[in-house]
Amino acid sequence: MSVGFVLPIMLLLPLAGALIVAAGRNKFSRNGLAGIATASVGVSFAAALAALLALRSLPEGEALRHRLIDWGSWGGEPFALGLLGDEVSIWWMLVVTGVGFLIHLYSAEYMADEADYGRYFAKLNYFVFAMSLLVLSDNFLGLLIGWANVGVASFLLIGFWNRRQAAAEAARKAFIVNAVGEVGLILAAVLIFAQFGGWTFERVFQGVETAPVGALTAIGLLLLIGAVAKSAQLPLHVWLPDAMQGPTPVSALIHAATMVTAGVYLVVRAYPIYEAAPLALHAVAVAGACSALFGAIVAVGQSDFKRVLAFSTMSQVGFMMLGAGVGAYEAAMFHFMTHAFFKALLFLLAGVIIHHLGGEQDIRRMGGVGKQMPAVYAMFLVGVLAIAGAPGLAGFFSKEEILHAVYMRGEVILWALGVAAASLTAFYMVRLFCLVFAGEPHGGHEGGAGGRGPGVVILIPLAVLTLLSISGGWLHIPGVTDVTGAYLGGFFDRFSRRVALIGQAPAWLGWLTIAAAGVAAWLSAMWFRPQGMGWKTARAAAGRADQGPLAAGFFVDSFYQALVVRPLIGLSKLIGLAVDPWVVDGIVKGLSGLAARAGSAVQAVHRGHMRRYALSVAAGAGLALLYVLVV
Amino acid sequence: MESAAIAPYIAISAVLFAVGVAGVLTRRSPLVILMCVEIMWNAANVVFIAFARQFGHMDGHIFAFFVITVAAAEVAIALGLIVLIFRRRDRVDADDLNLLKG
Repeated sequence: MSVGFVLPIMLLLPLAGALIVAAGRNKFSRNGLAGIATASVGVSFAAALAALLALRSLPEGEALRHRLIDWGSWGGEPFALGLLGDEVSIWWMLVVTGVGFLIHLYSAEYMADEADYGRYFAKLNYFVFAMSLLVLSDNFLGLLIGWANVGVASFLLIGFWNRRQAAAEAARKAFIVNAVGEVGLILAAVLIFAQFGGWTFERVFQGVETAPVGALTAIGLLLLIGAVAKSAQLPLHVWLPDAMQGPTPVSALIHAATMVTAGVYLVVRAYPIYEAAPLALHAVAVAGACSALFGAIVAVGQSDFKRVLAFSTMSQVGFMMLGAGVGAYEAAMFHFMTHAFFKALLFLLAGVIIHHLGGEQDIRRMGGVGKQMPAVYAMFLVGVLAIAGAPGLAGFFSKEEILHAVYMRGEVILWALGVAAASLTAFYMVRLFCLVFAGEPHGGHEGGAGGRGPGVVILIPLAVLTLLSISGGWLHIPGVTDVTGAYLGGFFDRFSRRVALIGQAPAWLGWLTIAAAGVAAWLSAMWFRPQGMGWKTARAAAGRADQGPLAAGFFVDSFYQALVVRPLIGLSKLIGLAVDPWVVDGIVKGLSGLAARAGSAVQAVHRGHMRRYALSVAAGAGLALLYVLVV
Repeated sequence: MESAAIAPYIAISAVLFAVGVAGVLTRRSPLVILMCVEIMWNAANVVFIAFARQFGHMDGHIFAFFVITVAAAEVAIALGLIVLIFRRRDRVDADDLNLLKG
């Protein structure tokens, strides 16, 4: 209990940083602003490390706790914003603040030409605070508050370039789609209170045993709506590709490494509810598997560098959901961590390349970047291999663990979807890699229009992330190391109702995915090498708008546009034309007109004729008398 | 006192009150209006006393005294007002006092 004080430090430092940077954005030097923002997240990361050590020293089953704000009590239930540092939340905090720190550092140089330097860092710090609140809260209400704050931070950062129409629209879209998810989450919170009489995880999870399955399923499905919206899973994924309008480090931090995994966190956090509601858990797995495959297919057809990575994120988060959905929470957490490493690396490298090419984002107009920037080439190769699942690198171990778990649970269809998504991952990543790095420079980018190459402040985070993308998976090599298992201990056994897996996974399972991914990568390399057909078609189409179902993401956007957005706009226009001027204005104007007319009518009586007043008093008295006499 | 014996008193009171009301409504001189109001006061006094006698209560008598004192106070203020109005204007006519019209 006594070491719980590291939790508020972890939580509040980024908030303090955000406030200081926001207040001093026009007064402090640029180095000062970046320094304050980066240091606050760095110290927060140190606090997370301290919390990790403190947690290890506690007996198993106990966690760090801190009561931040007491709100009093409600119906006998103490009502407080408490912080909880257990295995899951500390794991998440380490990645959020660790990767967050590296991306702050990268931003310090990457955003150097930006006029609104202070505003950028204030918002970035605010995001880290919001995410920490989401992760550290010890009850569903605090989680919801953090969740909403994360949504606001995402809105602010996607729309950072607020003079760009596209960025403003993307920010709005992300906010609205996330609001749909928040409705689910709020309803879930209401149901939780109705069912358990409180919001703390402890209370809720203790009540799970006796709660009716129907209520638990409803709660689980409502939570899933929130998770699906925040984690850009089918069918609420449409905001994520558009969110790439934000600055690239933001895409790396929020829309790849941390925020979009909030949905996975929610499922993992609420696992006792899902364990007791198999239907809801299965829905998680199905949503994850479908999103994994959908994202991977659509990523093949994208020609914008960042949109490829965005759909890839959707696909990878789908893997995490799939893992969580079959009860392999450790695997989901593991993949969350490795994905944060290699996806942040890929995004940050994308930023360097886009800067180098003077803002060019169309991969069909790129090429030959490898010769100009060998270091970037090497690091990107590591990232591609890691995400594609090349044996030995980070993504391989975590993805294999998930696919193994899915197979061992007997979900063969979901497993097949996962394997297909994994091989497609290799396909689209190799395609991206070939189009960007292979061949000769293209489209007038020979000299590197962006001028200077990346400096040391950018290279340090890149190098660290490269190392982590290589070694992150070594935390759990089956049969060799098991750091994640040792760390989590029996955490997920407490409420797990699953029967223990019997026997060993067949050996061909791992080889099959490796072979499938390898073949996909080879096909892609043949197709998109400078002599290949795909290369030539891509180059020929360079600069033109994308056509076809893949590029349009299977028209999900158009579907929503036709089914939701247009009718809504039509309805508001109708209301604006008919209801507002006639009904609403009519009521208001009618009331004011009535008052005015009543005033002028009564005016005639008040002429100041004293004897007439006296007469009306007498007449009134007479009437009163008459009333008394007659009635 | 029998109930039949009180009837003349009430009749006188009613006549007095009606005379007062008619005066207030028809006359234009504030001074005469004031006098008519006094007549109405006294109509009320007559009824008070008559009923007090009939029921053997002292309350009616006491109220009559109150009415007399309040009427005296009212006359003092009203005459003061009339004098003030007379000083500001040449003639005093209740119909001219219409500054508060809406």
